[in-house]
Amino acid sequence: MAVKHHDDNWGWMLAADFFFAGMGAAAVAAAGVLTFAAPGLSSPLVGAVGAVGVGIGALLLILELGKPLRAWRVFTNPKAILTFGAWNMTLTAGLGFVLASFAFPIFPWAGVAILEKLVAGLCVLCGLIVAAYPGVLLARHKARPFWHGPGLIPLFLLSSLATGLALHLLCNAALPAPNQALVQPLAVGTALLLLLQAVLWVAYVYVKRSTGTEHEVAAAERWAKGDLAPGFGLFLAGGMVLPGLLVGLSAPALQVGGALLALGGGALMRLWVIKGGENRTFLPGEQLFRSRLPIGDEAFIRAGK
Amino acid sequence: MSNESEAGVEVRKCCCYFCHNNCGVLAYVKDGELLRFEGDPDHPASSGGLCCRGNLQLQHLHHPDRVNHPLKRIGPKGSGQWESISWEQAIDEIGAKLEQIRAESGAEAVATAGGTLRTDDWARRRFMNAFGSPNSFHNAHLCWIPTFMVEMTVYGWCPFEIDVGQARCIVLWGQNPGASSMPAQAGFTNLQRENGLKVIVIDPRYTESAAKADLWLPIRPGSDLALALAWINVIITEKLHNADFVKNYCEGFKELRKHVKDFTPEWAAELTWLDPEQIRAGARMYAANTPGNIQWAPAVDQQGPPAGECMHARAILRALTGNLDGPGADILTGPAQDYLTDEEMEANDLLPEEQKGKQLGADKYKLTTWPGYTLIAEQSKKFWGKAPTAEWMCEAHPPSVYRAILSGKPYQVRALLVSATNPVNSYGNSREVLAALEKVEFMTCCDYFLTPTAMLADYVLPIAGSMERPSVHTNYGVSDALVASQRAIAPLYQRKTDFDFWRLLGLRLGQAEHWPWETLEDAYFYQIANLAENFYGSESYDAFVEWPRFHYPEREFNRYLEHGFGTPSGKVELKSSILEQLGYPPLPVYVPPAESETANPELAEEFPLVLTTAGGFMPYHHSEHFNLPSVRFLAHEPYTDINPRTAGHYGIKNGDWVWIETRRGRIRQKANLTEAVMPRVVMTQRGWWFPERDMRLPELGGCLESNANVLTSTEDAHCDPLGGSWANRGLLCRIYKAE
Amino acid sequence: MPQYVMVIDRGKCVGCQSCTVACRVHNDLPVSVIYNPVVTNGVTGLFPHVHMTHVPLLCMHCRNTPCVDACPTKASQQREDGIVWVDQDMCVGCKACIMSCPYGARSSHDGVAWKCTFCKERVDAGEKPYCVNTCHQKARSFGDLDDPASEVAQLVGAKGGQWLLGELNTQPGVYYIN
Repeated sequence: MAVKHHDDNWGWMLAADFFFAGMGAAAVAAAGVLTFAAPGLSSPLVGAVGAVGVGIGALLLILELGKPLRAWRVFTNPKAILTFGAWNMTLTAGLGFVLASFAFPIFPWAGVAILEKLVAGLCVLCGLIVAAYPGVLLARHKARPFWHGPGLIPLFLLSSLATGLALHLLCNAALPAPNQALVQPLAVGTALLLLLQAVLWVAYVYVKRSTGTEHEVAAAERWAKGDLAPGFGLFLAGGMVLPGLLVGLSAPALQVGGALLALGGGALMRLWVIKGGENRTFLPGEQLFRSRLPIGDEAFIRAGK
Repeated sequence: MSNESEAGVEVRKCCCYFCHNNCGVLAYVKDGELLRFEGDPDHPASSGGLCCRGNLQLQHLHHPDRVNHPLKRIGPKGSGQWESISWEQAIDEIGAKLEQIRAESGAEAVATAGGTLRTDDWARRRFMNAFGSPNSFHNAHLCWIPTFMVEMTVYGWCPFEIDVGQARCIVLWGQNPGASSMPAQAGFTNLQRENGLKVIVIDPRYTESAAKADLWLPIRPGSDLALALAWINVIITEKLHNADFVKNYCEGFKELRKHVKDFTPEWAAELTWLDPEQIRAGARMYAANTPGNIQWAPAVDQQGPPAGECMHARAILRALTGNLDGPGADILTGPAQDYLTDEEMEANDLLPEEQKGKQLGADKYKLTTWPGYTLIAEQSKKFWGKAPTAEWMCEAHPPSVYRAILSGKPYQVRALLVSATNPVNSYGNSREVLAALEKVEFMTCCDYFLTPTAMLADYVLPIAGSMERPSVHTNYGVSDALVASQRAIAPLYQRKTDFDFWRLLGLRLGQAEHWPWETLEDAYFYQIANLAENFYGSESYDAFVEWPRFHYPEREFNRYLEHGFGTPSGKVELKSSILEQLGYPPLPVYVPPAESETANPELAEEFPLVLTTAGGFMPYHHSEHFNLPSVRFLAHEPYTDINPRTAGHYGIKNGDWVWIETRRGRIRQKANLTEAVMPRVVMTQRGWWFPERDMRLPELGGCLESNANVLTSTEDAHCDPLGGSWANRGLLCRIYKAE
Repeated sequence: MPQYVMVIDRGKCVGCQSCTVACRVHNDLPVSVIYNPVVTNGVTGLFPHVHMTHVPLLCMHCRNTPCVDACPTKASQQREDGIVWVDQDMCVGCKACIMSCPYGARSSHDGVAWKCTFCKERVDAGEKPYCVNTCHQKARSFGDLDDPASEVAQLVGAKGGQWLLGELNTQPGVYYIN
């Protein structure tokens, strides 16, 4: 029997999905924007790597399902935000590959600028939707006091953009863009996004903890002083502030390190947000009751079978 | 779903057998198979309700660990090596052994230990009487029986029937129906709302019922006697008693008034840890709101030394307030007149006087053994025409039997026939009981499962459960009413009822003339023949269960106006002549609990906290049902209630494993930090063993690890001299974190 | 169309969990799945000034259902009579409904979501849910809120009836009275 207490919450795979999909989608969206500015501003790898990121996210999402073989069903309720997200992830992944293909002349459409701009526009649209989507999904959970409210939407959007741009820097380091004009401004932008995120995260927890409902205060307490506090500190300092400084101020080699740290910070942040969602709108006494239930591997259960 | 039209499905009127409430169950049966069941909405007590356990009928019936065939031990004791044999072989070999022991050592060398209302114990007593041994026992001494006998001496019957529907006040004295008598709790809550019934709960713990009470008196465990004496003092001092009733129908009031002069609330406050005003408030609420009831519960019965005196004091409270036999009061029904009582089924005249004299413990605990029972039964026969049940009311003293097995004194007990009980977990001082069970020369065990006790037996007999047997409920054979139930199905495998066991053994030992009934239904029909013939025209036992199933004689209030009371003087004997005759104090004297900070200050330095092993808790009953995952998931580990302030003092956090230790030994349970108990009180759960563990010796299902009875005391100095009750509550203990 | 609701009298409930077990046993639930736990609020206060109440929980069969809204497959659905249920053959086990339920009424087992259905097969056959029948305290009533003669309508009419976490605007079909 599965371990009960872990069963009734989303797990790390969903956090990883949010991370890969958000990063990949933002990278695709950014690639789309750069396409409008001038040709060759981004590394030829970006579109494909971003699309692969979104694809990995989708794969993890499927693996997180209790019944992966029925995954196609998640496309079937147009009224559900999860269905909306699934469609957008699929589109973004596909569009990312198509956008990347314009850099390779072997494809017959490679030179059709109008088509490239159309695809780029769609990439921007879908990519931004996917980048913001986890925040919107979580923010709607009135049952989960740490998530509930609009605050998570900018946080997820910012994080997706920061990690997406960090991915640009990494791709550029691996296979430089033909036109390097915007690389340094991009690095500065990434740094600003990272630092802004750190400020907003502190503010988010502070507001939840100081003015939230009883349940929000209890949930935020885990971040301020409880079991999530060390990890919170780690992604603030090591995943946002430090990479912000490295990416914004330093030489290209250190920028790569900073970009990698930023990715790590984004991943950890999402894992922590998922853990923060373990706090429900518990009723008085409910947690004590549930804490004393068997987790499922007790000898009496095995003996009773 | 009651789809009555379903072809071939028969609805049988059964009852749950997992505690004493015996709630009605409708069983849907097809081709001898129990398909489903639900609570019987027409049952007069349970009205369709079933508790956690009541819902387990199918799990219990088909449990993979049920004993399904007679088992004979083939390896060393406790090795778990068994051979399945036939009933014929089992009965023949057991009978031969018992014959041999009787021939060599006398019939008294065979004793029998019983459990609580899972059985037809008139059949057991009938067998033992015909066999010639006086040494039957249950945990009767801890559960109501001494109360019954004390009250017999005071007003000639025990008012266990209460007319709460018309009452204005009820005292739940150490009772928590919210976790033990669910239908009763439902009634109290409704009466509080509809009639303004006042509910007083006396309990060291803030229980389910205390949470719904009008007044909660959280007393020091074991100090009930001081409270009862102080209530008498308040009622007399403040002239709250029913002067007419006392003057016309009670003996010994003047002596009582003088006797309780010093038992003031201030005196009791120190002993009970209550405020004197709390004590007064309780006495006033009970005395001012007549008619009223005091509901019996085993709390007082399990206190050892002060138990008998407290029962006496409690009986006096009823009499002083005139709360006897009137509408809304505690009712003296007397024994059943409309059918044969259990006593009439027991064949007590078969036991020779000489054998009665050999009953173990009868020299010390006279009220609940042959000396006291003889006096009381004579008096009862004179007044009511019938005597109370001898099984239960007149039994060997269990700790004395275990000690006789271990010491051979006053004589060697060689065989123990165990039925429906797990003494290792249920009787006091478990280490001593376990030693006795390991030592006893011959042991049989009738049970559903291989309990720690059954694991030590030479023979285990497979017993039919609730859906596989009929049952008649008459409250230990002493109620005037009766509720009858059917079998849903014939026993599965080779299971039989305990009645079958005693009967077959009786036949093997030449008792054929005493066992004319082939089936339990035949025996029941014999018992209710008068009801069947003269009241309802039933043609068989099953027909009686179909209709009317219940028999409630018309309630006759205030019989004493015409007949007086069933005591030697014909009045309520506040000062009891029978107790005096047996050499006990005729008025209730103060006796401290087995161990207390006031009487044993040195001990209290070493063991500074007060322990109660307390009452039943959902979802278990005594030491049962730990092996049913469907309820075990609700409480899969043992918990001890500790006040957070006390826990803080000892560095114990919620959920930590802690040791609870008394002079007898220590057990391990998890800490439940709760303000429900006062800082000096520790309350353990009882009954615990772990069926999922290795059931063989030495582990024996972990039966000593978390078992509250390791902590309790049965030494003679800790037993009530009247009824033999030993000390389960009000003991001194200490706690510390288990690493 | 009837509007099925449950009314729970917390003044009667003693926290015995009979409903929890009756549900589990008769609905044949796996050990790790509990449709209707009874949680105890307390003991609160300081001895001896203490307090304790019990709250039987179950699916609230909300009229404004976060769970049905969250389901990407339409496996979670609400009948016209208000009963919320899951078609487990359609469920992919994404846990969106579990995460969205403020009452913890759903759990995951064997890759799909499980929840109280008000014993809809019994209700369809004119019976009451198992938890209602098994309660000795008669703390639970079940019926059609739109039928003024029903016990539930009368109880809600006479005693009001509170929602758990009503501020979340889930509009539960389970009412608590005292």
